[in-house]
Amino acid sequence: MAARALRRLASLALLAATSCGFPASIALPTLKTLLSTPAKVPNKITSPVRADARLAALWVGHATVLLQIDDKLILTDPVFTSTIGQVSRRLVEPGIDVENVPRVDVVLISHLHFDHLSLGSLSLLERKIGTLLVPQKGLVYVPDYPFESRELPTWSTWESGGLRVTAVPAQHAGFRYGIDGGWMDTSFTGYVIEYHGLTVYFAGDTAYNRGFVAATAARFPSIDLALLPIAPIHPRAHMEDRHVDPEEATRIFVELGARYFVPIHFGTFINSEDAPGDPLSELLIAAAAHKLAPGALHVLTQGEQQVLVACGPAPQCHR
Amino acid sequence: MAALRTTLAIAAFSIGIAASSASLAAAPPEATPPGIHPTLLWTALQLVPSPEWMGDGAGSHAGMRWQVTPLLYSFGINRKLSPWRSLIAEPVVRHAGSVELFLSPEYLSNSGTFAEHWLFRGGLRSYFPLVSKGEYLSTSLGASLLHFDHRLGAAASAGIYVLYGFVGAEVTYCPTPGLRGATATLSLRVF
Repeated sequence: MAARALRRLASLALLAATSCGFPASIALPTLKTLLSTPAKVPNKITSPVRADARLAALWVGHATVLLQIDDKLILTDPVFTSTIGQVSRRLVEPGIDVENVPRVDVVLISHLHFDHLSLGSLSLLERKIGTLLVPQKGLVYVPDYPFESRELPTWSTWESGGLRVTAVPAQHAGFRYGIDGGWMDTSFTGYVIEYHGLTVYFAGDTAYNRGFVAATAARFPSIDLALLPIAPIHPRAHMEDRHVDPEEATRIFVELGARYFVPIHFGTFINSEDAPGDPLSELLIAAAAHKLAPGALHVLTQGEQQVLVACGPAPQCHR
Repeated sequence: MAALRTTLAIAAFSIGIAASSASLAAAPPEATPPGIHPTLLWTALQLVPSPEWMGDGAGSHAGMRWQVTPLLYSFGINRKLSPWRSLIAEPVVRHAGSVELFLSPEYLSNSGTFAEHWLFRGGLRSYFPLVSKGEYLSTSLGASLLHFDHRLGAAASAGIYVLYGFVGAEVTYCPTPGLRGATATLSLRVF
């Protein structure tokens, strides 16, 4: 009886995974991670706010990046839990311990999939969040928290204390549970963050869409940093409508005319048939093919922080 | 003079109200309703029964339970959205905290007449989040009235759920003489 119940439970988990658009070839390895232990991140940063930075990025893992622009802190798609959706365990622990995350001005949620909207992570961070922004219709999956939560439809802007966040178009999927794809059809977005003359593009998850990239580049002609996903890649026929591959991500970077490229959304969870290392090796090939300027590409490891724009003399730092 | 001051004050107040109404009307919506509605896939999934085992003084029987939610009030949903749902409710809207009115036909695999095979239950159940706003773990308490074998009874229930509420275990106890017994249900529910 118990074995049958367990089999039924496993089948249901698989159904849940596959109903979210995961082929069985991905769902099974994903479920196997539940038996694994995440790799440790050595020498984690405990004080991520940098006095010497105008623009710094700390990659926590997957699509979670702690951004510092002068005195403002922005956190993208925070996932600090050990699993996502109870069906996939992380391969690498978060790059910063949640107790060392400082209060952030704004949290950006690009879409509602479990690897981007983690309610458990928001609970862990709830006293540290100023405002949470979600794509249109997304608030239904953000229950009541003590922080302010707002939806930001495409091309609308939220502003606070000079920090501006604009929702920009992306091509992805808006559901959370799979079955809700029939009505959750607009809940995915990218964001552009502007503060003190610095501009950051966070793509969320997106397929390559030349029109969307052109429109974003026209509206934001001087992007300093682009946070772009480079995985999942395979199976390409399944992914290409929703996810860029490393070459497409590089093309977006070039077409945006951005200065720095930090790749994200790889190496943290199993969500594809990619072999470990595939996204980065393909990215290096694409970077060479597109002749990226030396120093444009910044590949971070989980927990690594890089200062992309350093402070000049005191008046320039705005601190 | 006093009348003039009063008139001016009323006029200023009216203008203020009109102005604030205009700015509210011009503001973008705080939250877009999700537009949830039953779909063919959802309807098909509701036909999947939850297996159950009922035990009473005479023995135990396997059975199947279906469930319909005519009305649900969510006290966990984002306060900018309507807390009401009918028939279909998002998992987090239910398991982040809610009260639902439910109707539940149950089929028991005992030998007997139609009335001895089918049990009809209706009641109230409240869900409470435990982990990840209820998506990872939630619990429920409920009370119901049931009709079985030409008799009416009352029952209390408790449940615990994982995987966004898709899977759960519920225990129901009926103390009514003649219907006294307990039911264990493996709850399978999608939306």
